[in-house]
Amino acid sequence: MANREHCPNRNHPMHPPSSMPRRALLLATLSAPALLMAGPAAAANVAESFVDENIHKGLDILRDKKLSITQRRDQFETLLLGLVDVRRIGLFTLGQYRRTAPPEDVEAFLNAFKNYATAAYQSYFARYTDQTLKVTGSTQRSPTDYIVQTLLIEPNSSQQPSEVDFRVRTDTGKPVLVDVAYQGIWLSLEERDQFVAFLGQNNGNVRTLIAHLSELAVNLGKPTQ
Amino acid sequence: MRGVRGLLLGLSALALAGCATGPASPEALAANDPYEQANRDMLKFNGKIDKYFVIPTVGLYFILVPEGGRRGVHNFLGNLSLPTIFVNDMLQGELSRAGKSMWRLTINSTIGLGGFFDPASKIGVSGHGEDFGQTLAVWGVEEGPYLVLPFLGPSNPRDAAGLVVDAAMDPTNQIPLKQHIWWSAGREYFTLLDLRAQTYQTIQGIQRSSVDYYSSLRSLYRQLRNEQIRNGRKQGLDLPDF
Repeated sequence: MANREHCPNRNHPMHPPSSMPRRALLLATLSAPALLMAGPAAAANVAESFVDENIHKGLDILRDKKLSITQRRDQFETLLLGLVDVRRIGLFTLGQYRRTAPPEDVEAFLNAFKNYATAAYQSYFARYTDQTLKVTGSTQRSPTDYIVQTLLIEPNSSQQPSEVDFRVRTDTGKPVLVDVAYQGIWLSLEERDQFVAFLGQNNGNVRTLIAHLSELAVNLGKPTQ
Repeated sequence: MRGVRGLLLGLSALALAGCATGPASPEALAANDPYEQANRDMLKFNGKIDKYFVIPTVGLYFILVPEGGRRGVHNFLGNLSLPTIFVNDMLQGELSRAGKSMWRLTINSTIGLGGFFDPASKIGVSGHGEDFGQTLAVWGVEEGPYLVLPFLGPSNPRDAAGLVVDAAMDPTNQIPLKQHIWWSAGREYFTLLDLRAQTYQTIQGIQRSSVDYYSSLRSLYRQLRNEQIRNGRKQGLDLPDF
């Protein structure tokens, strides 16, 4: 096993590496609500502002005790769908099957993916109301492609803050989130690897994946045991 | 080759040889996972070990050992790994990180009462991980095909070889204890217990929301290892276009 001194969750071969990757990724995505308008020629600071300003708005909603569970869930769903380019992510996660699947199946998949992603986010967000995200910088990969670096800080904890990176694209004329990484693990990449493997085991049948995603979305909506 | 890790790696080689039957699918080859079916079988086996042996003892661990005690065990195990981390820091030319590792070892082994406490973190000398698998990667060695090792889980030939070297360079394995196997097994067991205790909810979440748990783990492992090899640096980060 890898030597992992004082970073307990980062790598144990028998177990999934990293502490709370998926949940933290989902939180990170949820923590940035409304869209800010910005042109594609804008500097990296626009991407940082986009993430920074929306994090606080999102956390305010998460902490709002006046909202019922349903209200909070619905508000987040609306915010999520406005903030994240779900269609672009969904098409990416299909991998090579995007080109070979019938167009109607792809559209049905995108709808199922949206419900799956939303349900997954909703099943986790309530656990993170005590944590904060602080923007620490950004990297510009191309004129319209940014990675904004943040730290996920848990108050009153001796653990080191976790790194959460947001990938922001501005090529559509406004900033949109296309991926989130927790400790270097990118959520969309992980989803693509899963979906492509699943389709490979099911003769590339996208409808099978749609059925599976729909089932998962229903199960994720149920309370955890 | 000493210790429990060596024994497990030997077993894994035998298991892989026994399971490697039939041609790999195009998808498995594309995913650099030619032993996918054997790996999936091994993941199921590990899952049974986890369910029937590890998880119950993790439950007992939570009941019998208070949080402060668990933190002490965690700190102690981390401190034991520091000499190996230091050597790998040096082998990778990471002198600043090597200095940190040495500082942590000195401070926590003395003021921290043998490593049970972590005063180093309190004064800003934070910890990091390093292993010989990462050192090999820094030296340019490719990871090779994906493997799931019995008991040890996700790996690849490079990381598996790294485990052996790390075990060989670990100073505690050089101590001629008469009952060395018990020390080694106990350390591995508590390391497993410590990590499993801290990742219990995470794993549950992944299992609950995964379309394909096996490929999810494979992706998580590879991405995390690449991040560790880069030591978190963003330069050279290879991301696909959307």
